[in-house]
Amino acid sequence: MRLQAALFLAACVSPVAAIFRDEVNHIDFHHALLGAPSPDSTFFVKPSSASNASLLYTISDKSILGAINPRDGALLWRQDLSRSDAATGGASLLRTSDGNNAVVGAAGQHISSWTAQDGKLIWENQFKDGVVADVELLELEEASKTSGPRDSLALVAGESVGFVRRLDGATGSVKWEHKDESGDVAFQVSSSPTEVFYISLQSALLKGHKVKVTVLDPVTGRQIRQHVLNSENDIATPESVLFVGANVASPLIAWADKAQKALKVNIIGTKQVQTINIENASGHEIRQITIHAPHKLNSLPHFLVHYVTDNGAWAEVYHVDLKSAAITRAYSLPYLQGQSVVATSNIDANVYFTRITESEAVVVSSASHGILGRWNIEDSPKERALYAVSEAISKGKSVVVRAAILRESGAWDLIRNGQTEWVRHEGLIDAVAATWIEPQIQESLAHELEVEGHESLVGAYTHRVKRHIRDLEHLPEWLKNLPQRIISSVLADEVTNLDSFGLAKSVIIATKAGRLYALNTAEQGAVAWSVQVEETSQWDVKSIVTRPGEATIYVSDGSSATVNVSTGEVTSRSAPKNVKLQSIISFDSETTIGVQEDGSLATTFEKSEELLVTTSADGRVLGWSGRDNKSPAWEFVPPSGQKVIHATSRPAHDPVASIGKVLGDRSVLYKYLNSNLALVTAVNEKDHTAGFYLLDGVSGNVLHATTHDSVDTTQPIASVMSENWFAYSFFGDVLDESSAKGYQLVVSELYESSIPNDRGPLDAAGNYSSIHGNSGDSLPLPHVVSQSFVIPEPISHMAVTQTRQGITTRQLICTLPESSSIIGIPRPVLDPRRPVDRDPTSAEAEEGLFRYAPLLEFDGKWYITHARDVSGIKTVLSQPTLLESTSVLFAFGGDVFGTRATPSQAFDVLGKSFNKLQLVLTVVALTGGVAFLAPMVRKKQVNLLWKAN
Amino acid sequence: MSSALPPPPPPQWVVTLNSPMPRPTKAANSIPDPPGFSSNRGGKQQKQQQKQPIEKKPEETDALKLKKAWEIAIAPSKQIPMNAIMMYMSGNSLQIFSIMMVFMLFKGPIQGLIGTNAVFAKFETPATRGRLLGVKAVYVLVQLGLLALGIWKVNAMGLLPTTRSDWLAWESERQPLERAHFAFR
Repeated sequence: MRLQAALFLAACVSPVAAIFRDEVNHIDFHHALLGAPSPDSTFFVKPSSASNASLLYTISDKSILGAINPRDGALLWRQDLSRSDAATGGASLLRTSDGNNAVVGAAGQHISSWTAQDGKLIWENQFKDGVVADVELLELEEASKTSGPRDSLALVAGESVGFVRRLDGATGSVKWEHKDESGDVAFQVSSSPTEVFYISLQSALLKGHKVKVTVLDPVTGRQIRQHVLNSENDIATPESVLFVGANVASPLIAWADKAQKALKVNIIGTKQVQTINIENASGHEIRQITIHAPHKLNSLPHFLVHYVTDNGAWAEVYHVDLKSAAITRAYSLPYLQGQSVVATSNIDANVYFTRITESEAVVVSSASHGILGRWNIEDSPKERALYAVSEAISKGKSVVVRAAILRESGAWDLIRNGQTEWVRHEGLIDAVAATWIEPQIQESLAHELEVEGHESLVGAYTHRVKRHIRDLEHLPEWLKNLPQRIISSVLADEVTNLDSFGLAKSVIIATKAGRLYALNTAEQGAVAWSVQVEETSQWDVKSIVTRPGEATIYVSDGSSATVNVSTGEVTSRSAPKNVKLQSIISFDSETTIGVQEDGSLATTFEKSEELLVTTSADGRVLGWSGRDNKSPAWEFVPPSGQKVIHATSRPAHDPVASIGKVLGDRSVLYKYLNSNLALVTAVNEKDHTAGFYLLDGVSGNVLHATTHDSVDTTQPIASVMSENWFAYSFFGDVLDESSAKGYQLVVSELYESSIPNDRGPLDAAGNYSSIHGNSGDSLPLPHVVSQSFVIPEPISHMAVTQTRQGITTRQLICTLPESSSIIGIPRPVLDPRRPVDRDPTSAEAEEGLFRYAPLLEFDGKWYITHARDVSGIKTVLSQPTLLESTSVLFAFGGDVFGTRATPSQAFDVLGKSFNKLQLVLTVVALTGGVAFLAPMVRKKQVNLLWKAN
Repeated sequence: MSSALPPPPPPQWVVTLNSPMPRPTKAANSIPDPPGFSSNRGGKQQKQQQKQPIEKKPEETDALKLKKAWEIAIAPSKQIPMNAIMMYMSGNSLQIFSIMMVFMLFKGPIQGLIGTNAVFAKFETPATRGRLLGVKAVYVLVQLGLLALGIWKVNAMGLLPTTRSDWLAWESERQPLERAHFAFR
């Protein structure tokens, strides 16, 4: 007992050790995601005029601005520009240029400038009168000579008003403003070295839009002239304009006619519109026309028009004569079957076009059609490429190109010399549901063990012997691999390869875009496969149920799809039903029951001795008996106008190692253990109250209730339950002098009785019933001990580490959205029995209790994400492994993060300091010594015997 | 081969060994002993042999034996105060020294109890047998006292399963008769 107590104490006092530096990227992995990069806001740019290598800058559809190292695809920095208040929308834009040292990003009403090297804020500006519709960096001839950051032009589109503003490159203050009150659609802004063009779309009388070009003076913002291009027959919506050239020596605006027979091009600043006939030799309808032109100021005035049909694509290259503004066709890239994308890049003034098809990448100069470089692309992904950006480097006479391609699947990959250098799975940012996969192999063994469990003793024994004899066929292979295994285990980073201990788990993730990904946690979260299951943008996955070898995805519309977890192949589907489900529960992985929005059951529930507890959209909790599916067996309506916003229960795997808590004097406080408990969070938004109700899921009785006043219900309220305790956090405001303002974390423990060694009214009964009780027809109420702590940050989600047998102390895993991290708070710190306002007695100290402090500072060692910036996490999953000490964690929702948690340290694993080689050498040396000394000693002893007589 | 020959005559030294020493002559008697030579060799034996028949009174012997037996029976009790102080001083923590001391504390009395009869065997005569029973009982009691000291010590160290927590592992969780499933999101 004493020994146990001492061990327990040791486990409590240093419950967690921070992750070591050499464990980073070994036990954990992190996909720092941006989202799908926006086509016109992705560039290869040198971060400063001094640097040689360029970085890949982008702003994503999630308004996250980021810089990627093109060498390995690692994220260097990112900034989330999205604001919760900017509900007005507007595209996310990013502009930068070589040697500018700054990138300018805009999202919604906000525009901000960041240092290109490390992503630090230079300035930020908000326009209350509209959203930012377009941003350009002003490339004036005088300005490009100076080294400071360039001024930017922002086009702000308000309601029937447009503003063109020149913002100072260093401070972001408005230098001048041009106001357009004509009611035109503020469309784009563009500039040439000497002039600023404001392009707006003027509604024509009957239909369509006319393009209106307003020329402004770049220094004063005064209007110089204005002209209107006749385009009303062709431009129906702003999307019909194909291209507005930015910052080329001759900016151009282009659109196609409706029949897609002719391309209309206007050099901005001139009045004439030139018509280029589209020579469609392919015989297929043109699906998409894109125009690629260099963005650099001093580059040649060449551009490429890329025509895509259903089956193939071709491209034409045109030259613009700067003096006469005439456009001449230079050459064309031939029609090729299959998909292709084109990207533009510059070396000094020369312009290069890179055409990437499924099988090859070709580089041509804009001046002539000679192919400068051609690479065969092996192992090209089959998904359609949406667009590409490229960077060209001249090597002697040839040109080397690397291109970053965004695929339709959301994968963003970089191709260099025909080889895929890296792939970023940006689609994972939309993860809505995830679950752990059970591999197929374990199933056969589990089945065998089950057979053994059901047979008689002799039968089971013979079965096992037979199984082991059968297993002998693997022996030669095992022996063959043995030397390699020994060598690798001696040389490996980790002392023991723990993958066979259940640490190599796979996770299946469903994203909003209808895609499934399988990630392997053993290989730093590498994507094993990804498959498009549904062509949708709102895939509302409610539940993923796994069976060994396969997983079934249940969607809110009642449909489901079953995939093979090792290949991702969809094996079966079921059609959507005419229901809207809010949650889906599965029993024994075969029967599933959908719950509708009003809390009623969509399918019949037939287990008569069991109950199903659901929540309804109007804020109630309902209990359904298997006997009657029409009306609920019980109903919980929270009091005083509160509505249920969240409900949680104990995890499915929640083993309890000890049913009591041993106190310092060796008496026992018995835990109130009930697998039918539910913790319901209900709020009243008007009164700012939050109630937390502990319900018995069978009878619906409230076992314990607390209400907190002046709670900010707009802030996250998280709750979790495990074993005999629950925790929740909220933002509480000041109510009276004694109350605390701030984020609070409340921990409550449930005991059968307040008196040690007492098991309450039920005493030693082995069973209990919530309905048919002997005394008073109800469950005895728990004795609840609570303590609350003030915490420095909000908690958006809570989870608990799960281990195989529950012996290891648990950690409360909290997601901290403000510091973009995940923290594991050890349970001993959150013990509500910590003595208040006094030091612990020796008996309490023996229990591991220490003095209560109302402020709970997050210890740096608790951060399981350590230095990583893990943002956007919505859910954390925990899974036990075969090692009792270790629980694997997986977090998703924005970034994807996985790690191992060892709340009581890795007590069943040899540490890295354990040196196998040293041990073996010591044993060998000792054996050698013994072998050498043994004859000598024997000889001496014999001699001694002779001498004695 | 051949029939047994008559045994050869014993050698001279055997004959000399077996025959008694010749009586020393008078002249030899008059020769003084060399310095340091004690003539009454084996005198002690002779004396004891002479004394024993003198003290051979059974009652006295028995009383003496009983007295000796009482001394032996009481002897371990003298260790009790010393052991108690040692045990008290050694503390209740689990360390190699306190564990060894507790082990010795148990080893002594248990060995003593096992060997009770052996200890008093030499004092056991038909006459003393009855009276030795009381002595043995006292001896056992004293050893049990020492054992009790050991048990007290073990208890103080928390090694005896006397509290509820020691039997916690054999108690089981109460199982609910009904089962509720939760379809929360």
